[in-house]
Amino acid sequence: MGTTPAVAVSRLSKFFPLITLRRLLTGTWQQGVWALQEVDFELFPGEVLFILGPNGSGKTTLVKLIAGLLAPTNGRISVHGLDTARFPLQVKRRLGYITCNEYSFYGRLTGWRNLAFFAQLQNLDPKTVIPPVVETLRLTEYLDRRFFTYSTGIKRRLDIARGLLHQPDILLLDEPTTNLDPLSAAKVRQLLIEIQARGKTMIIVTHRLEEVQKLGGRVAIVKEGRFQEVTREAGENLEELYARMVEENIHAGS
Amino acid sequence: MRVHKVAAFFVRDLLWDLSYPLNFFWRGASIFFSLVTFYFLGRLVIGGASGHLAAYGGGGYFPFVLVGLALAGFQNVALNSISRAVQYGMYTGTLEAMLVTPTPISTIVFSSVLYQFVSALLSILVYLAFGALLFGFPLGQADFLSAAVMLLLTLLAHLPLGILSASFLLIFKRGDPITSLVGHLSALLAGVYFPLSVLPGWLQVVSFFLPFTHALEGLRQAVLNGRTVMELSTQVMVLSIFAIILLPLSLAVFSYAIHQAKRLGTLSQF
Repeated sequence: MGTTPAVAVSRLSKFFPLITLRRLLTGTWQQGVWALQEVDFELFPGEVLFILGPNGSGKTTLVKLIAGLLAPTNGRISVHGLDTARFPLQVKRRLGYITCNEYSFYGRLTGWRNLAFFAQLQNLDPKTVIPPVVETLRLTEYLDRRFFTYSTGIKRRLDIARGLLHQPDILLLDEPTTNLDPLSAAKVRQLLIEIQARGKTMIIVTHRLEEVQKLGGRVAIVKEGRFQEVTREAGENLEELYARMVEENIHAGS
Repeated sequence: MRVHKVAAFFVRDLLWDLSYPLNFFWRGASIFFSLVTFYFLGRLVIGGASGHLAAYGGGGYFPFVLVGLALAGFQNVALNSISRAVQYGMYTGTLEAMLVTPTPISTIVFSSVLYQFVSALLSILVYLAFGALLFGFPLGQADFLSAAVMLLLTLLAHLPLGILSASFLLIFKRGDPITSLVGHLSALLAGVYFPLSVLPGWLQVVSFFLPFTHALEGLRQAVLNGRTVMELSTQVMVLSIFAIILLPLSLAVFSYAIHQAKRLGTLSQF
């Protein structure tokens, strides 16, 4: 385990003001929602952190904050010691954000053209970087087909391929097996195991506890913006632990 | 701005456009039918309008309106392309996928509209080619250098309005007042379909404050009267002032809007 954390989150909070014309006019625009409050954790190279929690609890917000797609209200995030607010471009080179949004590709273009486009945005030569990644993800045979012809499972694998093109140290995955049939979900899970075996640091937002059991790693639960890491005893049933944690109120710092 | 990234956007949009081959045909057909309509309309208005049209090469209404129609399409792209690109990116999630790459937002935004500008320029050429080959549009006296300068200035004077519109959409999502207002006012008051001299005096004063008025006048003088860049110094100066004031202002507003969108979490909302 290295001394510098791959990801360090310190006193991170995110407030979403709810702006409407009426609120602007009446001066009540400061009202809104605290999506995350006082989140603290460190993740070291090679570690996997699963983030669980009910819908709307702040899990995606946390991942988007780390990816630089949202600005924190308070607190600090650093990636390999680099502050994400001060060094956004350097940080992006080390992060792979897998959106798990099947619409975030160009449906009329082939898989190859989609990957080539995003490879060029990463300052990479598509001909060099795409073949090894798609071979690992067993996507080679699909690349000449237009994206809209893919099944959801293939789309998800292409999404993972996009996130791996620049060989990032850290992967952020937001519900990687959501909307997949059991077989496709199992394939994606297997790919994550292979990626984990290569020593990548991963933060995985998920609702599926079998992912946690198959891959193994640290587990945190986010509920109503509060983040708490779960310490499991050997053999403790994760499902029961999760249910108990979500039903209880999680207090910051507890 | 790295050239290979700009090229990647251009190729992406070209391939996307080529995936709808019939679209090219119908775009050409639309220009053709529009020209046919105005050609016959031009035959109708001959005579009565001759005094108003005397300053535009003496070729009557058709050459006058052809330049107006061609440039209106170009202006439409300048006003709308950035906000459309931003909206599409927000709606599909491709904007977030691009923003997590080490690519500045300015590169993403400006490269996303490059193909549309090239396409709009080609449309102008199609207008002129159809006009010259099929309807006797007089291209002989055109000063193409002046025309190119006027197109560039039209772009620089209108692009900031498109950037302001995109900034508005980043935060408020819909209901952008800028492009609607400028677009409608320009169509009505800048002289696309009729010379400004037919407007009442006070409306002519209003039209002076629209950049498109000067763009149209400059391009018509370049194409229909062969005026040189030096002879179009008034239009060049006015459009340059619009560009010099609005470009930095719009870029600052856009940067602020991106910051606010990250703060408010509206980048992926639609």
